[in-house]
Amino acid sequence: MKTPIFAFILSLIMCLSARAQLKWEQTSVELHPAPTDKQAIGHFKYENTGKTPVHFKSVHASCGCTTAQSQKEEVPPGEKGEITATFNIGDRTGTQVKTVTVETDEATNQKTVLTLKAEIPQQLEITPNFVFWKQGDKPDTKTINVKVGKDFSVKHLKVTSSTPDFEAKVEEAGKGEFKIDVKPQDTSKVVASMLTIQPEDSQKVFYATARVTNAPQVQ
Amino acid sequence: MKSSLVAQAVILAALALLPAAGEAIYFRDKISWRSAIAPSEMVTVEQAREFGSTAIWVDARPDEDFAKDHVRGAILLNEDRWNELLPQFLAAWAPGKKTVVYCSSLSCNASREVARRLRKEAQLSDVFVLEGGWEAWLKKK
Repeated sequence: MKTPIFAFILSLIMCLSARAQLKWEQTSVELHPAPTDKQAIGHFKYENTGKTPVHFKSVHASCGCTTAQSQKEEVPPGEKGEITATFNIGDRTGTQVKTVTVETDEATNQKTVLTLKAEIPQQLEITPNFVFWKQGDKPDTKTINVKVGKDFSVKHLKVTSSTPDFEAKVEEAGKGEFKIDVKPQDTSKVVASMLTIQPEDSQKVFYATARVTNAPQVQ
Repeated sequence: MKSSLVAQAVILAALALLPAAGEAIYFRDKISWRSAIAPSEMVTVEQAREFGSTAIWVDARPDEDFAKDHVRGAILLNEDRWNELLPQFLAAWAPGKKTVVYCSSLSCNASREVARRLRKEAQLSDVFVLEGGWEAWLKKK
């Protein structure tokens, strides 16, 4: 019984030692872009430690927001290179995890998944960023909570409504938090307003929406 | 002979378990690139169609994909231009509406992220992710 198992393990070891191998310096990169950065770029370095050339068959990113490029199609033995992954941040916030799948013609390990993790700083967390009243509702005040991100300092907020149909008042709630009280002038007609929220001494502008909506249709 | 084969199979299975266990321990803190979503927040193409006129379709794909083709009446809302596109969606939304978000395929994550942000940031309810996304829609068109 011992012979087949021994043969299996031996063949496994031989296969592993004989392969052409792309050795990755790291398959996971963590990035901390600045608040004004538009992109986060990860570099995944590799070296061909095997005895035969390695060819890239495909380099494929997990989402349209990330592009990935290899410097070359063929990696001769002993040569080094890198895959560059560029993540377009757009209006994304918080922890973003994107992957790049690299496919090669190696005998084993044909697919390698590279992971790019980016922590996108968020200056203001606005919840909810949408307040609404149904037509005919009592025009009560609704509150939008604003929390300042941990790496930021905001002492004052300026809030303006794009139309006079809504009134918005800011109140400091302490510990880096604010409350914006929003009140429609009346709810008899369907109206909408864009609330512009701007921290003092900051170019960055945030938005919330206030609306008086149609009453829901009865099905 | 038979018991010997069984014993070998058990030993091989145990050997296979060793790297599997190692990988599970090594990757225990790794974050999945896909956002978690409750099964109740997923809908099939058939289920979404049953929503009829109460559904608002949201296309979470990049602008170029939306420009090529999209579900008829769908509103573009992706995270590339979230701040700019969100007001357009909110202008079309009304109480009682069901929001169906889709991205390109079964493996994409954009629809899950857009749905999560609509629930969390805009605090909307009845936000669903279309299973299989645009690819599934095309197959059952």
